[in-house]
Amino acid sequence: MSTRYQQALDSVTRVRGVRGAMLVAGEDGLIVAEALMEGVRGKAVAALAASLQKRFRQAMEAAAAGNPHFLHLQGDGGTLIVVPAPDGILVVAVGAPDMNVGLVRLEMLRAAEAIA
Amino acid sequence: MRQTKAVEAWTLEPLEQFVAESGAQLTLLMTPAGQVLAQHGFTRAVDVMSAAALGAAIVASSTEIARLLDEPGFATLNHQGVKHGIFLGDFESPRGRLLVLVVYGPDSSVGLVQLFFEELVEGLVAAAPAEERPQAVLAANFEDELNQSLASLFGR
Amino acid sequence: MASDIKTMSAELARDPASLVFVELAEALRQRGQLEHAERVVLGGLEHHPDLLEAHDLYARVLVDAGTYERAVQVWTRVLDSDPRHLGAHKGLGFLNFRTGDLDGALEHLELALAANPSDQSVIRALHTVRGAAAEAAAEAEAAQEDAAAEGEDAVFAGLEGAGNGLLLVDDRGRVLGGRIEGEKGVDVSEAVAAFLAGAAQEAERTARMLGLGDWQWLVTEGPDGNVYVTPPTADTLLLIQRDRSVPSGRLAMLAERAGAVARQWLEGQAL
Repeated sequence: MSTRYQQALDSVTRVRGVRGAMLVAGEDGLIVAEALMEGVRGKAVAALAASLQKRFRQAMEAAAAGNPHFLHLQGDGGTLIVVPAPDGILVVAVGAPDMNVGLVRLEMLRAAEAIA
Repeated sequence: MRQTKAVEAWTLEPLEQFVAESGAQLTLLMTPAGQVLAQHGFTRAVDVMSAAALGAAIVASSTEIARLLDEPGFATLNHQGVKHGIFLGDFESPRGRLLVLVVYGPDSSVGLVQLFFEELVEGLVAAAPAEERPQAVLAANFEDELNQSLASLFGR
Repeated sequence: MASDIKTMSAELARDPASLVFVELAEALRQRGQLEHAERVVLGGLEHHPDLLEAHDLYARVLVDAGTYERAVQVWTRVLDSDPRHLGAHKGLGFLNFRTGDLDGALEHLELALAANPSDQSVIRALHTVRGAAAEAAAEAEAAQEDAAAEGEDAVFAGLEGAGNGLLLVDDRGRVLGGRIEGEKGVDVSEAVAAFLAGAAQEAERTARMLGLGDWQWLVTEGPDGNVYVTPPTADTLLLIQRDRSVPSGRLAMLAERAGAVARQWLEGQAL
């Protein structure tokens, strides 16, 4: 994995509660780079995060709210966050339900800028 | 009307599940020789036959390339077009080697198709009955079998 | 009365365990000497802790002093001992009426009437509360009609954003209530509802397959607005849209309120 991608992901995974971070090709739902804890299904995260982002982009555009630049799915057992980066790449993080979303969001936005 | 049809009933449930989850538009389950076991989304027999023949040919060609590269084979292949993608997957089952051809559109992605292809393989392997003893194939039998298969695949 | 109070006070001084404390405390309460009344009744309860009449009187003293929450606690404990206690039901009925909980008031007053069908004060109170309830229902209906006339949706009538920015959708992508406006004020509710149903199914699948548990809500931030989506019931979806200045924490608060309203409306439709 390129150093630039690795550094971008490391800054996200350092936040407490994050179980994994990845870069995903948004249109294909394929992994570009990953930093995942044991037990996190990378392929599933990539494919489903990309599909979720696509679906909500359609809903947001219908509501004239524009293309989403941040998406946060909260479950009672975990959290998924998706931040689009340039060139169709998505920065994706998955973590515990009480993950510090504010900090993760900040790191993911920085990561999205760094990989451009 | 059910869009998924099968010559062999054990293939139906895993295939329906795969189509529902992956969002595939067209799907064929077949042998490497192009004999179709089940299909989803096709409306004309000629399209099924063409797709099966071409899909089997693509897999055969890439298997040959893999052999030249000293590779065991390519488990999956993907061709991405502007509006559609074609995915070909290859796996071993109790019924022998089988191929899956999938055509998907913008509502799906190769990532989703790959993800649920793995579940499809698990489902088919679990559902497959033990391999039947191979029978000698006569030209007349082959034509009858093909016609019977097509009839099943189109609910006639 | 002053001489009665003097006499009763003297008797209580001679015998602190005397039951005269109840009458004395009531007399003091009626004269507005609430602190004194409270001391007397609490003193008497030390000797007679199970005397429900004394607890009832104490609660009335508390109401006169404006300490409503404590009064509710005392009357509730009385009802734990005697579920048909007339005074407790009357008292709680009064307090509910005072705080606008007309259903609660009716419930307690009807129980009071059942305990003593000839109590005129209860009959009068019921008449008053029923009249107030009828008036409130008429006002609510008029408000809904006004809201509908102004373009606000009946489901979310009165809520912030009822006319634009709140949408209730069933699991098949059909609008149940609310409205979302797109560019130039065009109603885009149907289109949003259709996409939203598919998006919510994807959210449910994603949460399930990635081990995130049951999905609770999802928030997206876009250049032209923020959107919060949550399922208020198993087969409906609520969408709240606000401009970018409204942070997601506030969206969550709005969602909770709107979700409660939506659930109430849905229950009403089911009947």
